[in-house]
Amino acid sequence: MELIGLANYAIFMGILIGIYALLALGLNIQWGLTGLFNAGIAGFFAVGAYASAIITSPHVAGRVGGFELPIVVGWMGAIVFAGLIAWPIGKVCLRFRSDYLAIATIGVAEIIRLVIKSEDWLTGSSRGITGIPRPFGELDYVASQLAYLGLVIAAVAVVYFLLERQLKSPWGRMMRAIRDNEAAAAAMGKQIEARRLQAFIFGAAVMGLAGALFVHFNRSITPEAIDPMIATFLIWIMLILGGSGNNRGAILGAIVIWLLWSVSEMITDRLPTDVALQAKYIRIFVVGLALQLVLRFRPEGILPEEQARQTAR
Amino acid sequence: MKLKSTAALIGSIIGASLLAATPAHAQNVKIGLLSGITGPIAAMAPPMIAASQLAVAHVNEQGGIGKGGKLEVVVGDSACNPQNATDAATKAVNIDRAVGIVGPACSGAVLAAANSVAVPAGALLITASGTSPQITSINDKDLVFRTVPSDDYQGRALARTLKGRDITKVAVAFLNNDYGKGLAEAFKAEFESLGGTIAGYSGHEGSKASYRSDLAELAKGGADTLVIFDYGDGTGLTILRQALENNFFKTFIGADGMKSDAVIRELGADNLGTFFTSSPVGEASSSLESFNKAFTAAGQSPDAIFTTTSYDAAFLMALAIEKAGGDNAKLAESLRAVSSAPGEPIMAGEWAKAKKLIAEGKDIDYKGAAGDHEFDKNGDVPGTYAFFKVSGGTYESLGEMK
Repeated sequence: MELIGLANYAIFMGILIGIYALLALGLNIQWGLTGLFNAGIAGFFAVGAYASAIITSPHVAGRVGGFELPIVVGWMGAIVFAGLIAWPIGKVCLRFRSDYLAIATIGVAEIIRLVIKSEDWLTGSSRGITGIPRPFGELDYVASQLAYLGLVIAAVAVVYFLLERQLKSPWGRMMRAIRDNEAAAAAMGKQIEARRLQAFIFGAAVMGLAGALFVHFNRSITPEAIDPMIATFLIWIMLILGGSGNNRGAILGAIVIWLLWSVSEMITDRLPTDVALQAKYIRIFVVGLALQLVLRFRPEGILPEEQARQTAR
Repeated sequence: MKLKSTAALIGSIIGASLLAATPAHAQNVKIGLLSGITGPIAAMAPPMIAASQLAVAHVNEQGGIGKGGKLEVVVGDSACNPQNATDAATKAVNIDRAVGIVGPACSGAVLAAANSVAVPAGALLITASGTSPQITSINDKDLVFRTVPSDDYQGRALARTLKGRDITKVAVAFLNNDYGKGLAEAFKAEFESLGGTIAGYSGHEGSKASYRSDLAELAKGGADTLVIFDYGDGTGLTILRQALENNFFKTFIGADGMKSDAVIRELGADNLGTFFTSSPVGEASSSLESFNKAFTAAGQSPDAIFTTTSYDAAFLMALAIEKAGGDNAKLAESLRAVSSAPGEPIMAGEWAKAKKLIAEGKDIDYKGAAGDHEFDKNGDVPGTYAFFKVSGGTYESLGEMK
């Protein structure tokens, strides 16, 4: 019984890690590859989540939706809508650089969150959307969790494979060139603005897919899920710790941070009750500490970017 | 050869652990207790947890579960968001083998934990503070219950009460979350259908320094009465203070979230002559009294929000476990049996009596600190509410609301 429990827990963690790995991969396109400081991950995650929820959920009076289309259409919709919304945002915001871009994107994510929280007709506002179908949801607990894990792994694998292809292609080299020396890349005739926008939209679309995977897993979505702490900053920590610029690093970062986040609670729970309650805050501290240690002793992350390593030698 | 022996070893470990898990006689039972310990409701969570743990303490002091078993609690942090709530619920159900979950606290967390963990895994879930009407419609195989009424009931009861007191024109300010918005919507629908006028209606975000511009906007409608759906130890206090300071409104009405000691402490009872709140009250008042006494003795304030419902949620969970007698598939059925009339009434804290009656095979009916808890087919409870005014530094009931 204990082993089955552990296995169930591991499957659940696998699903969430997969979802976070997708977010980290999306951020890796924007930051790792192109150098865009996007601090509005939660916004694109939310757009994807709500797009898929609206496309696939049953009708509710006073809210758009009731399309009840297949889940695959919902996922496609999530990718498309997250990408679409990234286009005007990118058009406006990408003229800023580094920390200014971060401030602008935080603002954008906050606008998206407030719109979602207030617009009844679109998102059900603070009550959210429920009754969202889950693939393989009619199976029993373990089988349905396993099947969903399979889906998530497949999604991560496909995205990873495509990204690796992109990274090794001339496009990937061009993006690195733009990131590392914009003036030189421009002198080589590269269209800086357009390429940066491309990477921004591409990354946002991957984040949208992660959002879609998340809502079908929970069968519901409320604005509480797009808290910046859990849907933006945690992902930044994952990417920086894992190694920005390296897709395997992004996935590894998601694994390490989520394990720290989840397993540290099990350790603090062994303490006496009064202390254990206060110790719940420790995991926030532990994650911060891990980030500090990595930044201090291994600023390039656990798995550094491959090309950077070659040039360093 | 080596592979074979490894396989045999793994096989025997699995076999041994399966054997170890077969029920012994004096077996302890675990329940998960999830609350938003970190995150936006961190200030409300500790008294709620203490109330649930008081119920567990009562159970264990008065004979425990089954034949000498104890009720054990694993406290998990649902942090008021679905990510952490599903994580904590998965750990409680799978790692700690909890048979049921009390909590989580926030509605969004309840929806996620119920949909993706409790219902598929067949664990009973009783929330003490998830008030969103969406929880009613979860496809829950009869596993999701709550001891707190849906916001719909209270908002409507408050509208009828105001109408009964000849207040016909009000402005409504609500905190833009599931709690504030749920109440405001129900209130507005009922108040307007009774012929009242809503002269201003706006949601606000939490933790801002000033709400004067929101209040000025609301006051433009010409209403004398402001209805505030917010928390009295948070934003609601700021709004009430600024509305009083600037004389925007004359009368102030709040719901249970506003019935906080912080309001009286910060603003002074003298200034609150025109401040009224509604709040759920226990029908069987002796049950509420004994809870208040025990909770005060434990060093806590029974006036903190959702403490009575938290106590009842944990106590009902224990009763259901006792009644089911080790058969976890029967938990939901047992919960309905111990909570609904007819039956010998059981008050808060009367575990020994309940245990004896269950052992004798008699039907019992738990009458909790927060109310009767007659669950309807969706696992919801209709609330009983009273209307309160401020008097002598505390809240005094003006009678039940219809």
